[in-house]
Amino acid sequence: MVLNDLGRKINSALASLAHKPAIDAEALDAMLKDLCRALLEADVNVKLVGALRTNIKNLVNLDELASAPIASQRRLVQRAVFDELVRLVDPSVGATGATTDRWQPVKGKPNVIMFVGLQGSGKTTSCTKLAYYYAKKGFKTAMVCTDTFRAGAFDQLKQNATKAKIPYYGSYTETDPVQIAVDGVARFKKDKFELIIIDTSGCHVTEAELFGEMTSIADVVQPDNIIFVMDGTIGQSAEIQARNFKNAVNVGSIVMTKMDGHAKGGGAISAVAATGSPIIFIGTGEHMQDLERFDARGFISKMMGMGDIGGLVEK
Amino acid sequence: MPAFLTSVQNLFSTSRALTRADLEPVLAKMENHLIGKNVAAEVTRDLLESVAVALEGKRIGWTSVYQHIRQALEDRLQRILLPSAGTDLLRDLQDVVRGDHRPYVMVMCGVNGVGKSTNLAKITFWLLQNRVSVLIAACDTFRSGAVEQLRTHVRNLRALVEQLGHDDVKIELFERGYGKDAAGIAKEATNYAKANGFQTVLIDTAGRMQDNEPLMRSLAKLTALNRPDKIVFVGEALVGNESIDQLTKFNTALRDFSNQADPRDIDALLLTKFDLIADKVGAAVSMTYITRRPILFVGTGQTYTDLKRINVKVVVDALLAA
Ligand SMILES: Nc1nc2c(ncn2[C@@H]2O[C@H](COP(=O)(O)OP(=O)(O)OP(=O)(O)O)[C@@H](O)[C@H]2O)c(=O)[nH]1
Ligand SMILES: Nc1nc2c(ncn2[C@@H]2O[C@H](COP(=O)(O)OP(=O)(O)OP(=O)(O)O)[C@@H](O)[C@H]2O)c(=O)[nH]1
Ligand SMILES: [Mg+2]
Ligand SMILES: [Mg+2]
Repeated sequence: MVLNDLGRKINSALASLAHKPAIDAEALDAMLKDLCRALLEADVNVKLVGALRTNIKNLVNLDELASAPIASQRRLVQRAVFDELVRLVDPSVGATGATTDRWQPVKGKPNVIMFVGLQGSGKTTSCTKLAYYYAKKGFKTAMVCTDTFRAGAFDQLKQNATKAKIPYYGSYTETDPVQIAVDGVARFKKDKFELIIIDTSGCHVTEAELFGEMTSIADVVQPDNIIFVMDGTIGQSAEIQARNFKNAVNVGSIVMTKMDGHAKGGGAISAVAATGSPIIFIGTGEHMQDLERFDARGFISKMMGMGDIGGLVEK
Repeated sequence: MPAFLTSVQNLFSTSRALTRADLEPVLAKMENHLIGKNVAAEVTRDLLESVAVALEGKRIGWTSVYQHIRQALEDRLQRILLPSAGTDLLRDLQDVVRGDHRPYVMVMCGVNGVGKSTNLAKITFWLLQNRVSVLIAACDTFRSGAVEQLRTHVRNLRALVEQLGHDDVKIELFERGYGKDAAGIAKEATNYAKANGFQTVLIDTAGRMQDNEPLMRSLAKLTALNRPDKIVFVGEALVGNESIDQLTKFNTALRDFSNQADPRDIDALLLTKFDLIADKVGAAVSMTYITRRPILFVGTGQTYTDLKRINVKVVVDALLAA
């Protein structure tokens, strides 16, 4: 994953403070300008970037700072930046109505998970990855294909599932996705499966029919968790898209895909604030094992190369 | 006029030369505005810098600074997008078919999941309506279901052609299953098309990340071996700043990995999922600015008729609207 680029820019924004004898309003503004520029280049939502700038300004009390030694001035500013960045990616810090508990399947009972998202975001691929991930951890796992819309959708899931040795359910003849969801879940529950993953058609709020199918499946099946899949390369539309899904179904977690490219995922990160749901996994390739657990603080520390920050403080 | 700009308009009402300091506050707001419309940050800054340079020192009368900036920006945006209004695929195609007595070959490439295969199917439908026979080459031999996806489209399209009563046009799928070499299949398909009187070959390729060198090499191999008439880069209207890196690296790969004296670039763009972005149309600007290539079509949905020409004026208005 290439986060180094964003991390480097954030670090260089912070490093600009290292050459200053003291942190005054001008130095802070200059640093914030560079920081915000780096975030905008990483596709973080314009409004969120504006809020972050204001928050950091409020957190850093320049009058109080003035009397502190320069090293602790810098540390305080870094701390504020770090905390605000973490807030961006971790809804349990800040956002109201946030899901503080990350979702975990529980062994010995059926956990039903439904994947939703825009067209081509990586739902079908991520379903297989998640199935494979938990099957390896000993869960009895299956997949249900309710996408009766996209050409070749069932073949895709079937071939993926076969490769990953995961049992699957779907139909070439039944055209009602809700019926398939009900039948598939019932079958796998009867056979004591512990993790039942439902793949759905890609859809968008303006497509009443497909969007309605998604909400119907959610209403009828009542999944334990709804995972919103978001492409890591998405730009400024991310926030509104995420909000549209959150308003329609009870999104509980986010999977951010295609993070093996050059993308920094800033758009997808903006979805966290819009949904109040945490990112639980990121997709880092097309193969079934290309899935990584996501941890907000670790992500930001890694992004900022915290080692370097330590060095900066000592200078 | 966007509401957010009322505070600075009409700031200068007597004739005087514009300075950077006059321009700066309006430019700063314009920068946020364009980025909010999903124009890449780098492209936004380039554009506004050129506006600033053009306006600095200019004498203005009763009109506001904002009006001058807006006008200069509008002109530039139009100029960037305008080539997109003048592409005629059907004519290019007929020239090759009639002039060279061979099928016209077009490749669709791009990153994963953007809509290459779906929009290839839409282009096919449009060609069939225009009585052009199409052979689709299934050269995504990697992604699960890719071949079946095209097979389904061909079956649907054949039924539609029958409905149209165009019994002189043909539509077929050329496939060799999974795991095979894409460049070779494309070559075979082209030969087959020539031998069987198809006027066009549309080559579907696997999605690939621009940083994935082995996959980028195999795309360059495909274009080098087949010398297509058009290399179409399919990009999503949803994509943010990443579009710049995607396009730069696709072009570099096509050039550097082709091992040819006269390597190729992307010839045209196809911008998909335009129906999903409302007024955040900035990707159209970023992509045309970086490549200086026209947008051949925009995809506006998931059915075969959801393929449109871009309306430059509407896009520019959307970019400048509040
Ligand atoms: N490089 C990369 N490709 C990915 C990743 N996740 C998914 N893809 C690719 O993205 C493309 C689209 O993925 P799908 O799983 O079909 O997406 P989807 O959301 O199910 O698409 P629809 O069902 O059409 O809405 C495929 O080519 C996948 O191989 C990822 O993490 N990295
Ligand atoms: N709303 C909308 N959806 C689109 C458009 N174009 C494609 N799609 C959808 O996007 C998803 C992915 O499309 P594909 O054609 O499979 O994309 P691809 O680029 O071939 O994907 P890979 O081959 O996996 O890299 C499908 O669900 C399509 O129906 C469009 O213009 N608008
Ligand atoms: Mg799918
Ligand atoms: Mg495809």
